[in-house]
Amino acid sequence: MNAALIERLGAVIAGIVVGVVAFYALYKDWHATGVENQVFKLMLLLLGIGAILALLAGLNVVGFAPKG
Amino acid sequence: MTAASLPLDSHGNVDQLYIETRELRLQGFLLFLVSDCVLFASFIFAYLYLRNSGQGWPPPGIQRLDVAFAAWNSVVLFGSGATMHYALENFKHGNFMRYMWFLLATIVLGAGFLGGQAYEYTHLIYGEHVTWWGSGIFGASFFTLTGMHGMHVFIGVCYLTVLVLQSAAGVYTRGKFFGITAGTLYWHFVDVIWVVLFSIFYLL
Repeated sequence: MNAALIERLGAVIAGIVVGVVAFYALYKDWHATGVENQVFKLMLLLLGIGAILALLAGLNVVGFAPKG
Repeated sequence: MTAASLPLDSHGNVDQLYIETRELRLQGFLLFLVSDCVLFASFIFAYLYLRNSGQGWPPPGIQRLDVAFAAWNSVVLFGSGATMHYALENFKHGNFMRYMWFLLATIVLGAGFLGGQAYEYTHLIYGEHVTWWGSGIFGASFFTLTGMHGMHVFIGVCYLTVLVLQSAAGVYTRGKFFGITAGTLYWHFVDVIWVVLFSIFYLL
């Protein structure tokens, strides 16, 4: 098992965990009001999208990772 | 507002000034984040313009960036965003020890991201001879943008360390914790900026 494969595996597992946590936090805060909570919701959404992108990069669906 | 969540001053009286100025502080901080967004946006658009005006990307002689390590390092930073969010949530709900652990986890993950970035820089500079000064638009834009972001993460780690010390000293109470809210907003901001940088440098 080479380093690139370990990194990709880590990105996939952590990407799933972070994505689930971010979207769950967004779901829980969905009805929260106030300016800061609206900003938090937007940022949690983008955080979840970032986790999905990292997950897809780990799976070699996007980006150009060397085959490991 | 319950009695436990009332902002109190050092004498135990209700801090009227804090109540009156909190919204203004929040607006000021959000304005600061917007101005930082504009700063990053100007660099990002300059990079995209230069990238699309050349013949092929990356320029001849430069390898594509390795996305596997960047993806791993990115989830480390995104994970720190999640821990920071739960730090704030736990503080709001009065779970002080959980708040402290989540805050410390955020600092460790943030420092881990910086370590990963330092590793990547070392690999690029000494392994692939891609430098800020000698690799044209690619090197200049990559090191400027990721370096600027790294500086923001470093400042964030310092800020969160100060939050840990202040929290341990009892500076924040359930009714008076704007510093923690601002820290969370700032940390989410550096996460979100990295989503964009990760996409344009490694995935496009």
